[in-house]
Amino acid sequence: MISLQNVTKTYKNGVIALEAVSIEIEKGEFVFVVGPSGSGKSTTLRLLLREEEPSAGEVFVAGKNVVRLSSLGGIPKLRRNIGCVFQDFKLLQDKTVFENVSFALEVIGKPKHVIDTRVPEILDYVGLGEKLNNYPDELSGGEQQRVSIARACVNRPLVLLADEPTGNLDPNTSVDIMRLLDKVNKIGTTVVMATHDQAIVDAMRKRVIELDRGKVVRDQSRGVYS
Amino acid sequence: MRRIEFYFRETAAGIRRNGIMAFAAMSTAFIALFLFGLALIIAREINLVIEAVTGNVQVAVYLSDPVRPDTVARLQTELQQLPAVASVEYENKDEACARAKKLFESNPAITENVPCEVYPASFRVTLADTSQYGQITARLACEPDPTTHDITCSEPGVLKVLDFRDILDRLSAITRVLRNGVLFIAVVMLISATVLVANTLRMGMFARRKEIGIMRLVGATNWRIRVPFLIEGLVEALVGAALAIITLFLVKVFVVDQLRGRIVWLPLIRNGDVLAITPWILIAAAGVAIVAGTIGIRRFLDV
Repeated sequence: MISLQNVTKTYKNGVIALEAVSIEIEKGEFVFVVGPSGSGKSTTLRLLLREEEPSAGEVFVAGKNVVRLSSLGGIPKLRRNIGCVFQDFKLLQDKTVFENVSFALEVIGKPKHVIDTRVPEILDYVGLGEKLNNYPDELSGGEQQRVSIARACVNRPLVLLADEPTGNLDPNTSVDIMRLLDKVNKIGTTVVMATHDQAIVDAMRKRVIELDRGKVVRDQSRGVYS
Repeated sequence: MRRIEFYFRETAAGIRRNGIMAFAAMSTAFIALFLFGLALIIAREINLVIEAVTGNVQVAVYLSDPVRPDTVARLQTELQQLPAVASVEYENKDEACARAKKLFESNPAITENVPCEVYPASFRVTLADTSQYGQITARLACEPDPTTHDITCSEPGVLKVLDFRDILDRLSAITRVLRNGVLFIAVVMLISATVLVANTLRMGMFARRKEIGIMRLVGATNWRIRVPFLIEGLVEALVGAALAIITLFLVKVFVVDQLRGRIVWLPLIRNGDVLAITPWILIAAAGVAIVAGTIGIRRFLDV
């Protein structure tokens, strides 16, 4: 599903974010990417989204070489197959829960009947079926992250990328969010999660890829944080 | 259908959110397009005056009544053979009358009180070389009459010769200065309008950068993101154009129409003239929108 082959990423200011990194992730896997700040976790996710291009090496997502995609159609299409969840939720404050999720379908041109069935469905799935008409500032942090997961999953992506999704949440709420991500993974979505959260990684016992200064220093199935 | 609804809803939201900037952009577009239209109207008005005074030829050779067909044929051939003459057109009395009637359409005082017989038949001469005008007067044996300043001729059948070269030159000079002056101001204003519209779009995109970020993330295409902003620029320019066209009509009604009939010899622009320049105003507005759109959204061209 995801393949990084000998990928190096050097930023314009000379910082080497990734150096000769090769990673293979199968369909349906749940993978933690761990490591200290600046180790290259976020760069890895940005490469998969084609927000960055690798300086060397190849990146494949769902069988497509993302470097070769055109910004006209190829990149948007790639991103429709990838859901994204962030530490800061990235919700639109002037839109309701329903509108935040429907926005993701609307802007890719999905017809109204699809939106009207899928949005309540996915909000029900993440446990927010009662809060369709609330605004983000009326929700707790955990609930806001659920909205963001609903938005990421409403178009049924092949891959879910999560960048520190529990970074702003207390431990109990974090566990709830991890249960939800696990649930999303169980229905076949490949989940790649960058995190600092040792407790969570240790509790989940999933595959762990550890980066340090741009290199893969450990790749362990059913691993722990360190 | 849904996509169009989406575009227009996003556009409306953008203009609302960006109210003052959008207003500034529309006002500048309005002033620029109004001046642009004014320049075109001034050019049309002066052309009307030229047409009224000279009939758009450089030299007119009037024939004395009664006009004899063989004289017409002979004189036309002779004039055409002169090297300085580019073309000679014969206008008979009926045609002269019809032209005068059309020209002074808005002055019934003239068209009703002047009988058709008064208008003389004439040769309307365009010169290939305006400095060689003397060839015509020499051929027709004309001399300036010291009392009337008319040029009377001893060639049989010729009443007099009117030399419009001087008037024509002066009027075209006035046209040029007036039209170019207003056109220059209009161009400066059009550039300002373009920059302001572009800036409005850019501020709109900045204000909505979070939404744009999410749109990209979930796989919206470039055009899906940009089109609402392009429509916004187009709407602003077209609102300016509509205001400019309305104002030009108001100027025509409240300024030009007030002069009608007061200066009897002066033909004035009519509604049709204002109508005829509206396409140019709309084209200029579209140009403003296209350039502003290209500049305004360039920063967001990459996915």
